Amino acid sequence: MKLNVDGLLVYFPYDYIYPEQFSYMLELKRALDAKGHCLLEMPSGTGKTTTLLSLIVAYMKAHPLDLTKLVYCSRTVPELEKVMEELRKLMNYYEKEMGMEQNILGLALSSRKNLCIHPSVSKEREGKVVDGRCYSLTASFVRARHAADDAVPICEFYEGFDAHGKEFPLPPGVYNLDDLKEYGQTKRWCPYFLARHTITHANIVVYSYHYLLDPKIAEVVSKEISKSSVVVFDEAHNIDNVCIDSMSVKITKRLLDKCSNSITILETTISNMKENDSKRLEKEYKRLVEGLRDATIARETDMALVNPVLPSEILEEAVPGTIRTAEHFVAFLKRVVEYIKTRLRVQHVVQESPAGFLRDIHTKVCIDRKPLRFTAERLASLIRTLEISDLTDFSPLVTVSHFATLVSTYTKGFTIIIEPFEDRAPTVSNPILYFSCLDSSIAIKPVFNRFQTVVITSGTLSPLDMYPKILDFHPVIMTSFTMTLARQCILPMIVSKGNDQVAMSSRYETREDTAVIRNYGNLLVEIAAAVPDGIVCFFTSYLYLETIVSSWYDQGIIDQLQRHKLLFIETQDAAETSLALINYIKACDNGRGAVLLSVARGKVSEGIDFDHHLGRAVLMFGIPYVYTQSRILRARLEYLRDQFQIRENDFLTFDAMRHAAQCLGRCMRGKTDYGIMVLADKRFSRADKRSKLPKWIQEHLKDTNCNLSTEECVQICKRWLRQMAQPFSREDQLGISLLTLEQLQSEEMQKKIQQRAQGV
Amino acid sequence: MADEDETKEYRWESGYEKTWEAIKEDDDGLLESNVADLVARAKRKRAALKATGAIQLGMMRHLFVVVDASACMFLQDLKPTRFLCVLKLLEVFVHEFFDLNPISQLGILTTKMKRCEQITVLAGNQKTHIEALQQLKDFSCEGEPSLQNSLERAMNGLKNMPAHSSREILVLFGSLTTCDPGDVQKTIKALKDNNIRVSIIGLAAEVRICREIAKKTGGTYNVLIDDHHLKELILSQVQPPAVAGSIEASLVKMGFPGGTPNVNDGTCDSSADHAPAYCLCHIDSETSSLMGPNGYNCPQCGSRYCELPVECKQCGLTLVSAPHLARSYHHLFPIKPFMERSRVPDTAHCFACAKLFVEAETNVYECENCHQIVCLDCDLFIRETLHTCPGCASDPVTAQMKTN
Repeated sequence: MKLNVDGLLVYFPYDYIYPEQFSYMLELKRALDAKGHCLLEMPSGTGKTTTLLSLIVAYMKAHPLDLTKLVYCSRTVPELEKVMEELRKLMNYYEKEMGMEQNILGLALSSRKNLCIHPSVSKEREGKVVDGRCYSLTASFVRARHAADDAVPICEFYEGFDAHGKEFPLPPGVYNLDDLKEYGQTKRWCPYFLARHTITHANIVVYSYHYLLDPKIAEVVSKEISKSSVVVFDEAHNIDNVCIDSMSVKITKRLLDKCSNSITILETTISNMKENDSKRLEKEYKRLVEGLRDATIARETDMALVNPVLPSEILEEAVPGTIRTAEHFVAFLKRVVEYIKTRLRVQHVVQESPAGFLRDIHTKVCIDRKPLRFTAERLASLIRTLEISDLTDFSPLVTVSHFATLVSTYTKGFTIIIEPFEDRAPTVSNPILYFSCLDSSIAIKPVFNRFQTVVITSGTLSPLDMYPKILDFHPVIMTSFTMTLARQCILPMIVSKGNDQVAMSSRYETREDTAVIRNYGNLLVEIAAAVPDGIVCFFTSYLYLETIVSSWYDQGIIDQLQRHKLLFIETQDAAETSLALINYIKACDNGRGAVLLSVARGKVSEGIDFDHHLGRAVLMFGIPYVYTQSRILRARLEYLRDQFQIRENDFLTFDAMRHAAQCLGRCMRGKTDYGIMVLADKRFSRADKRSKLPKWIQEHLKDTNCNLSTEECVQICKRWLRQMAQPFSREDQLGISLLTLEQLQSEEMQKKIQQRAQGV
Repeated sequence: MADEDETKEYRWESGYEKTWEAIKEDDDGLLESNVADLVARAKRKRAALKATGAIQLGMMRHLFVVVDASACMFLQDLKPTRFLCVLKLLEVFVHEFFDLNPISQLGILTTKMKRCEQITVLAGNQKTHIEALQQLKDFSCEGEPSLQNSLERAMNGLKNMPAHSSREILVLFGSLTTCDPGDVQKTIKALKDNNIRVSIIGLAAEVRICREIAKKTGGTYNVLIDDHHLKELILSQVQPPAVAGSIEASLVKMGFPGGTPNVNDGTCDSSADHAPAYCLCHIDSETSSLMGPNGYNCPQCGSRYCELPVECKQCGLTLVSAPHLARSYHHLFPIKPFMERSRVPDTAHCFACAKLFVEAETNVYECENCHQIVCLDCDLFIRETLHTCPGCASDPVTAQMKTN
């Protein structure tokens, strides 16, 4: 249908529209008009993606000069494919309505692993191996060697792309990963490099967060994207953690041992080369004198090794003399690695600032700050010069070099923590050095600065005001949309006590209490008896999950549970968990019913949807506070308090509640779906927790359902499930939660929508 | 329920019922009109749903009723227990079923402890079924049910039924779980291949696999809200369903035994028909006794039966009486739903019961053919019991037309 959104003609590829989708478009358009950033929360299953795409594409068509490109960032490959599917639908609709081909090029980009079509390389399973093998076939020196000697293998697809692909741009259309591969096969061009090349002139680019946020990759992939673009971060409730992870480094003892190995390899290669081909080393030396800018001339294939964010002034400087020659540099690296090794030999926890670390390294092993800053770049240059084609072995050394560069570049917003052992196993020596980023705004700052509009959206972003603070930006629009429903299809409840009136809580003081554990068990058993098909339970941590399950076993609760449903448990092992998931789905499908015990913040809580019968109920046992004893967290809290005036408790609650909301949201994936959400902790009913739930959940959380006992909860569930099981057709939704064009245009509805938009 | 009074439970044992929430005041702050309106609308809706016009209906039905007898049937959310409530309603169902589908057959299965038990075999005698149901009351409910086992069992019973009959399974499923030995998808496929329609009534909540089975085999899946709704759902299964796909049309051989000779008016020619004889329905039981002259003889082999309709045990002939067929016949020509009339002439009265319409009466219906108006109660009575419009029947012209 064709919509009029505040004066903009929007083609919407469906015959019906949800009222909240229209409101969402209105808000988004305002943000685009203002050329500012925005923060939008809309429940999952209400068609965020298609709404975003149709509005932005319409805007691009109407104002081709103001808005040239859409960069859509998503988390996983399946999500990425979903976006492409929606885009294709939209483009087909445009073609049908306008009657001609659209001059819009949209494509998805993923790692080499997902795009490679080389007959043997693409068989590899691990991303790193694919990258390494690709590099060994396409690096510039390999190709130079091939020119001299035909026996050196190269990738014919890359050669094909290099010879012709750059002159012929990809014809307009929508290309998902498979389309790109197919196109590559027919043309005999490498799809990965084709996609990377095409990014610069495509209208719509869909890729993973890391291509923008991880400075190591962003520099290579996303450098050329123009300022007049709109960047969308979908499912962005964890965006601050992604930012932090991309800037943090973790060094273990094993990693350092591997480094030493790589250094010996480097040494032998250098001495070999010195005997055979000393000229090349000299050439490199000269180049380094001239500065690093030249070192990064467009050798795109060599980018497997790239530097972390270097302030641009560094790139113009010459590499300091102390590490210019290869031997000196290797010796320098050796010293750094040895130094870190000695630092790891500690008996107690050490926490220090980057400045302190730099001072210490200077006094102990006489290493200055300046050469440290160049470590990553210098290592990359050396590996290029030495023509080492197998990069997989060098990744530990690269990690250390990144660490060296980061620690000497940033003095603020980072901390170094050295732990001699893990908290859980204080007797086993397992020293780890964490170089941890505390400030999530560092990684995302370039994005906010560079692009005119950044849209941060997700199903669960509440409380909205926290994100501008921790990401340090000023949104022009901040809105949370609710879901209009023809029937009450979510049933959130707070269960605070068991049948014996003992309060349920995962509070530290009471969590080991058998009465609390027994009450949790009884709650689950009774819910399992009343709710059909799948039930998903979330615990606050793996440790807590294990203790609870073992005491349930002793109390006989597991036996009772298995009478009603099969039991599956998420573990830290990914393969085991996915096997459990497959069987969980099977059990739900054939009617036996199943319970999945999993952990908030685990793999299941992020990104696995339990729609319809797979998740008829979600139980949240306790509030998923992050492990507060962790030193990294404490350092971050301190930093947030000092820099952004966020109280520790506020941040902890915010973090816990967004994860709780994420877990609860797992069971609701659309308007025809329905699910029970049980929050089993007394503390949820407090105003500070309750008010931090997303608006669309809060709306259905009645006051009467905030302090229930197990028995009351089960009674409510039973009645509600019977109501939900009654036939529900599209006709019931029409006019309330689903609108035709006429209904949308009716004055009454317009008024309602306006109200909704202003109400927040 | 009739026996609800006998086993009355205490108020605190029952669930939380917020009866006040269902009632809303109207504009004047009154409740009465609202309640009456609710009731009328619900009734009317149900009646209108049934009248779906002339389609080919499977009148010769073979139906297996599967009753869940697992542990969860002892729950008391239906009074007195789910199991007793269901059995009671099934008695009504069996009665109604044979009343409306006289040439059909029915069998009863139960499932518990992951197994399936046969209670009665497929037969057309309602007495045996009702007796069996009454005996079931002392039956203990335990373990988990097995959907697959029951479906397989029922399928084995139905597979060999003639192709022109409609094969159906009705499952009354209280449990939310099923314990199956194999892949239930294969069973669903087999059911589909055999043209068996499975309808399921859930007693607790929507179970995905039930919905899938019902959807794939062309049956219905419903979940009750309360015991009244359950009764409605069970009784809605009494109506024969529309023919699913490819049932071949064929001629069925039937026998019409002569009636009982209460008056010696010469309708029964052979005196041998009324000689005392053992009836074949009860020949197996110990208590069988020589029957008097009452009974029905198979016109083909002469065996005696005490009830119709029945399938002759000797020669396999279906024995019915003419009224049975006539009663089945009205399914084929349901009367069209009456039009709702908003305005009534001042002095109008219901054509059927002669009740005078008050001014404010809103529920008035008019027959499309004869343009007579009737009140709501009569409308429902006509639809559910009479199956013929009194207006049309009393008008000689239309009545003539209809029989032609």
